Amino acid sequence: MVERIEDLNLPNAVIARLIKESLPESASVSKEARAAIARAASVFAIFVTSSSTALAHKQNHKTITAKDILQTLTELDFESFVPSLTEDLEVYRKMVKDKKESKASKKDTSTSENPNASSTAAGEEANE
Amino acid sequence: MGEPKMQPPGVRVPNAETFLPLSRVRTIMKSSMDTGLITNEVLFLMTKCTELFVRHLAGSAYADSFRQQTGETLKYEHLSQLVNKSKNLEFLLQIVPEKIRVHEFQEMLRLNRSAGSDDDDSESGSESDE
Repeated sequence: MVERIEDLNLPNAVIARLIKESLPESASVSKEARAAIARAASVFAIFVTSSSTALAHKQNHKTITAKDILQTLTELDFESFVPSLTEDLEVYRKMVKDKKESKASKKDTSTSENPNASSTAAGEEANE
Repeated sequence: MGEPKMQPPGVRVPNAETFLPLSRVRTIMKSSMDTGLITNEVLFLMTKCTELFVRHLAGSAYADSFRQQTGETLKYEHLSQLVNKSKNLEFLLQIVPEKIRVHEFQEMLRLNRSAGSDDDDSESGSESDE
């Protein structure tokens, strides 16, 4: 649940950096434009999520999968995103697999952290 | 979080690093109605995809307004112009509306009223749902 509306904002610094990287070297961006892009990005995430959820439900799945998202992007006319995302996903899957294997190989080390214990904690972990 | 390297625009190396915080993206996803479980993989993909969207939005707005020029400032108007003409950005029409001047707005109101239609709830704060 979202307690405060600010919880839906994406961090300004990261947004600013992403924008800067996608513009020519010497270009700049107004504060208002940056805020609008940040807002648009949140809305985009919600839009894609709800569309993917609808798609998953239509196929009688409860949980959305990576495939649902990629298909939704195509349907929403963002198919240009799909090739890069597919590549990133491959790298991500390989990373997760490697991590799992290296974990299994040194099983004797402490078992204190269980990646499935809490979904939020698991989300953070994947970021490392 | 490791420091992903800066890349020249256009050259892209696939990677499993994300810039945006996964936890925040999760919160945003959860705010959408009846989202079930969110797997780590899906969360990763959504985060990447949102990053791509930010780049896409900024990059196209700039390219559209300035072509090859450099050193310009990307302003709000450039975004609303892009949103106005792109079919796949239609969902942002209420989020990034074109700005109008107060007297233009008043004129619009006046015309609306004189047109007889009394459904004047269409112009104010309709950004709640969707």
